[in-house]
Amino acid sequence: MNEDEIITSLKNRFGERVHNSKIAKPRRVYVEVDASIIREALSYMRGSLGFDHLSTITGLDSEERIELIYHIVCGNSIVVSMKTNVLKTNPKIGSISDIYVTAELYEREVYDLLGVRFEEHPNLSRLILPEDWPENLHPLRKEATLEQIKSRLSMNGDGINERFND
Amino acid sequence: MSGSMIKVVIGPQHPALKEPERFIIEVEGEQVVQVTPRIGYVHRGIEKAMENRTYIQNLYLAERICGICSHAHTTCYVQAVEDLLSIEAPPRAKYIRTVIAELERIHSHLLWLGILAHEVGFDTFFMYVWRDREVIMDLLEEISGNRVNYAMNTIGGVRRDLDQEKISKILKGLEVIEEKAKKYIQMIQKEPTILKRTVGVGYLSSIDAVRYNAVGPLARASGVKRDVRKDDPYIAYDDISFNIVTRDEGDCFSRMMIRAEEILESINIVREALSKLPVGDISVKTRLVIPPSETVSRVEAPRGELIHYARSNGTDKPERYKIRAPTLANLKALCKMLTGIYLADVPVILAGIDPCFSCMDRMQIIDCEKKEKQSWTLDDLRRYAREWYQKH
Repeated sequence: MNEDEIITSLKNRFGERVHNSKIAKPRRVYVEVDASIIREALSYMRGSLGFDHLSTITGLDSEERIELIYHIVCGNSIVVSMKTNVLKTNPKIGSISDIYVTAELYEREVYDLLGVRFEEHPNLSRLILPEDWPENLHPLRKEATLEQIKSRLSMNGDGINERFND
Repeated sequence: MSGSMIKVVIGPQHPALKEPERFIIEVEGEQVVQVTPRIGYVHRGIEKAMENRTYIQNLYLAERICGICSHAHTTCYVQAVEDLLSIEAPPRAKYIRTVIAELERIHSHLLWLGILAHEVGFDTFFMYVWRDREVIMDLLEEISGNRVNYAMNTIGGVRRDLDQEKISKILKGLEVIEEKAKKYIQMIQKEPTILKRTVGVGYLSSIDAVRYNAVGPLARASGVKRDVRKDDPYIAYDDISFNIVTRDEGDCFSRMMIRAEEILESINIVREALSKLPVGDISVKTRLVIPPSETVSRVEAPRGELIHYARSNGTDKPERYKIRAPTLANLKALCKMLTGIYLADVPVILAGIDPCFSCMDRMQIIDCEKKEKQSWTLDDLRRYAREWYQKH
């Protein structure tokens, strides 16, 4: 299956909920889908189009929305970057950790750094940040300044003994 | 449940190796029931830092993502930036990048072979391998001026050329390593210490390797034929003939053999690249401001698929730069392999994925019944493992 056929199959299956598709160069495909169909779209890609590998999930702050990019690979060759976005004021989306096992870790990373909540995630807890990191400081959001992050980090060590007692 | 469930906390502090990591391992008697990894102890916020620095400054950050495979990261980085700029490095630069990449793979695999030998208690082998690795380190220093963080890549090409003298030194060094690597392969297959501790240990089926999205030598040791160099070729790999080494055993022995055999493949790649080295410039001039665009860049690092995603916004700094190193990709597969095995096999299997974190000096053993704590060091665990194997 080549790049064109992948886009065509996606469009045939999901119609207008798939937009802005492009083939940037050989083996690099970008496509946007509505947030409501992300789980359906990814399980279709995995189940029917042979995209058995999730390379990673990129989260990115674009003004009032958080963009999520799922980089999935077919035959270790064609990379489809499937994009969707959620509102920054209520960043919620369905977890795909039942479709791609490794998504469990990548979703926790996005949760940590951008504050997106993945619904039905088996264990949406801190992966990178300390357990006592404040809920409202998301380091990769544009409004989080280096000074804020630095001053928070300099406090580290507080409460560390309690954490090890459980 | 016999009530003997014990939580063994491995990591995160480690005085000797870099990059800490913590695993909470629940054991029932000798058997591991569940594994929970916790990372982030050395998260340096590089992605955020990159958004605040220019593309040129970020080159130096990319070089420092990893101390072992720094060239893989800069190759992935410059490839991404060159793609955003719609430029291409000259052919000679691509070939030089390939030569460095394979020399890096050789020293990385040698380093790992030594570590695994150390884990199984075969320190003589560890010392032989690390002694021989110096041949490659010296070559890299000769070429780039540095043993690590070679700083060969730049946006639009490479920073140093290879002259005839350096080429003949590389070829000479490769002869030494080739002979040694062949010896290692024989040793691995015959040496009882290695066989006893690695054959059948840490099994990962090919179905699970795909299911858990394993990458690199870990996937190839389970019979999954995946290699970004072949499947999604970059730099000069398209023009060079080489084999993807795979094996079907899916255990730690297989992972050892894969890396040893890949060293031989890498030697051939370097030889072919040097024999075909195109003449011409080694870099092109570039702009420093990049129009809005985006790109996905992939590289086969020594530990497997490395992926970077970059988005530019019309300034001299990226809007977003995302990095996913191979060890994170292999973490789920690692937890799968650790489940159901003997505690004594944990160090070998942990080391078996060639983790680019090195975790686990301090261990806490918590008896859930008595709530008693006891701390172990990695040496304690190693000793425990060796004694356990002497008894069984």
